[in-house]
Amino acid sequence: MAEVSVGKGLTKGIVKFLVILGAGFAALFVLKGVLAPPTADGYRFFPVIGSRDWIWVVAQTHLDFAAFVLGVPIFAVTMEFIGWRKGDPRLDRIAYDFAKLFTLAYTFTAFMGAVFLVSVPLLYPKFISYMMQILGYTWWIYLGVMLAEVVVCYLYFYSWKKLKDRKGLHVFLGGLLNFFGLLLLLITSIWVGFMTTPAGVSKTGALINRWATIHTHMWLPLTLHRFIANIVFGAGIAAAYAAFRFITSKTPEEKAYYDWMGYTSATISIGVSLLLPGVGYLLGVEIYSFNEQMGIQLMGGFFAWLWVMQAMLIGAILFFINYYLWISLHKMPGGERYYGQVKYLFIVVLLGYVIWITPHDIALSLSEARRIGAYHPVLGKLGVMAAKNTAVILSYLATFLSFSIFRMSNKEPVVPWAKAGRVLKALIITVSTGGVLFLGVLGYTVSAEVRVGVLSPIQFSLFFIAILALFLLDFFMYRGARIIGEPRWGQMPERSQYALIAITVTFTWLMGMLGYMRAGARQYWHVYGIMMNKAPDAYLPTAGVASIIVTITTLLFLLMVAFVFWSIMRLEKFSERRVTGQ
Amino acid sequence: MHYIFPALAIIGLAIAILAALRKSPFFNYLGILLAIYAGLKSLSLIMPPLPSQVVHMYMVVAVLTFLIYFSISEETFHAFLRPIRTVLADDDKKALRVAIVYIFIPLLAAYIAYSGVSPSFTPPVSPRISHPEPPMQMTFKGQTIKILGLQNPLRQDTANFGKYVEAGKKVYYQNCFFCHGDGLNGKGIFADAFNPPPPPFMGTDTIAQLPESYVFWRVAKGWTALPPGSHPWDSAMPEFENFLDQNSIWEASMFIYYASGNKPRTF
Repeated sequence: MAEVSVGKGLTKGIVKFLVILGAGFAALFVLKGVLAPPTADGYRFFPVIGSRDWIWVVAQTHLDFAAFVLGVPIFAVTMEFIGWRKGDPRLDRIAYDFAKLFTLAYTFTAFMGAVFLVSVPLLYPKFISYMMQILGYTWWIYLGVMLAEVVVCYLYFYSWKKLKDRKGLHVFLGGLLNFFGLLLLLITSIWVGFMTTPAGVSKTGALINRWATIHTHMWLPLTLHRFIANIVFGAGIAAAYAAFRFITSKTPEEKAYYDWMGYTSATISIGVSLLLPGVGYLLGVEIYSFNEQMGIQLMGGFFAWLWVMQAMLIGAILFFINYYLWISLHKMPGGERYYGQVKYLFIVVLLGYVIWITPHDIALSLSEARRIGAYHPVLGKLGVMAAKNTAVILSYLATFLSFSIFRMSNKEPVVPWAKAGRVLKALIITVSTGGVLFLGVLGYTVSAEVRVGVLSPIQFSLFFIAILALFLLDFFMYRGARIIGEPRWGQMPERSQYALIAITVTFTWLMGMLGYMRAGARQYWHVYGIMMNKAPDAYLPTAGVASIIVTITTLLFLLMVAFVFWSIMRLEKFSERRVTGQ
Repeated sequence: MHYIFPALAIIGLAIAILAALRKSPFFNYLGILLAIYAGLKSLSLIMPPLPSQVVHMYMVVAVLTFLIYFSISEETFHAFLRPIRTVLADDDKKALRVAIVYIFIPLLAAYIAYSGVSPSFTPPVSPRISHPEPPMQMTFKGQTIKILGLQNPLRQDTANFGKYVEAGKKVYYQNCFFCHGDGLNGKGIFADAFNPPPPPFMGTDTIAQLPESYVFWRVAKGWTALPPGSHPWDSAMPEFENFLDQNSIWEASMFIYYASGNKPRTF
């Protein structure tokens, strides 16, 4: 891949993009002429599975890839920058590996985007015509930015070796790539924001204020949420790639490198995910402030059960990452000193998980309903936000401690205040845990306004202050620490790598499910309250049907990602052969 | 019969402890699972029983997470797998292998399959939606009311708050208390006739989560206006617009919030 010259690589990228886009437009033009005209309401019907499900699968798969190619460059450039400033070639290699991944994934993103581009105007012509009327100019800007993104992406990747002595310029290119990525995110969020929380149009849909159609309730919180989630997701895919390469590696050196890559990617993924509840909260507040019915439907109404599924999935992700970190202790000389603490962390994460998944509204049989009543006196208490926030925060705190233990397990502090430092650490953990628990219990005695508006932010702040304090304390306490031994990278059982893969699979499923909830919030509207969806499949499917479709998109995406991984390995082998002249 | 589960919990705990002492993680695992399952079932001695749905969820979590726990250390994981390997591979364990693999497991699978498909007279269990989404607008005796942003007009008259609460109390006891109960606890005299039972208003997990416009819509329109996804047939709430005027519904709402110590959600 990288042996191709910059000019050739760039041309290849641009041609690929233009061919896919051109093929999309050509297909659109041809199919429009060939297919029967749409119904009076403005619909065509996709055979067998129906238009809604087809668009659902295509859009979600495209979005998964888009999240990947927009998320990975953020930390690839960060790694490259840190590697450049620290003079660490390993960081440069990992950044390059990340770049390989997203450059190849661009092709799939563009392909799925083209399928989407053809499908939506054909199946929903009236809706697209309205969207073009209101926000059409943003679509053309989007195409321009997309082309710029492709140019910079290919330039960034193919100039890696050529600009190795001009790293500043190369890092700048990476920054530019992320700038265009952010613009793309902002533009696509305009469309979703307008469809879900429309503004700037009259009741009949006539344009009143162009800026208001862009600056909707959802626009910025959704962009922020997607931005953070993209990093989490991209890093997750990179971790899965590393795990896959670890399992298939033949040499100890390769195993050591991919073990380290998996650890680094997973740490970024889970570390950044700490921000997601906060930005998700902001998005929720905006939805409620736009329309409380939509808020109720999302949080306590039709989608309530999907939040229980979300809890199961995120809880599983926390378990997988903790499991990975606990196993990792075995490769750290000195790690055995902490084996005893693992069981306590396990108990905290387990209890947190159990409380998080406990539903407030339980499916009861007739006899159970007679004996229990509408809500179980104990489980009902565990099913509300006061308990769940507390459980989630303490699970995350335990996860942070697992990470902290792993990082410091091969070191022995030598600062004179090490003993006092340990006491302080225990104090921070005790006070923050006690504080979070106290506020959680207090949450039962106050109004929803106080709980959500005051206590929950304090709980989250307490958590962030605690992990920041623990991080800084570790930093100073372990400065110049005696190293018991270097980590034995590569000496990990394979099951630890399956935990990394499981994290990615769960993330993908989670994104699909939350994407469905976000889109489903519009119910039977193309543009909520403005343009009704009169197609026969404009109904919300049951949670079971939705789960099946989300599973299909997840499998489809993972299959394509596996193909990306396989292609990279093939290309590497091909390059090796060319170098050795075989 | 009541004490079978506590007895099983103790047996499970004993197996877990003995297995831990003998360093046998597999039996430790089985003992823990038995103790958890029987322990969850035993809770019915001190509180209403845990619903089977929740017991299932907890057990799935226990099975997976403890499996994770016993596979953290390489040594423990090998010891965990040893009894399984022994039964499946050792020549002297042929009788046990036949009993477990060819008899017990197929019989268990058959029993589970049979229980799943055998006809039953109890109605199927389905999750219900606790807060069905209201429409954007409703009609009240022919008058169109926009629900979004709807406020209780009586709350603006703060000087007469007590009067409205008192009036709402009368409305409640003449109309609501038969199902929702004297103590607003969902245990009215008719409560047992309904499935699902009427919700309680005490605590911070029902009306405290809702804006007052929602309560107005729910009381005024009852089960008839519930969206299809919310199984309207799963509610017996009458349409109170047929029996009460708007002010009476707002007064009842004020009483319920006041008496349960809650305030309507305002965001």
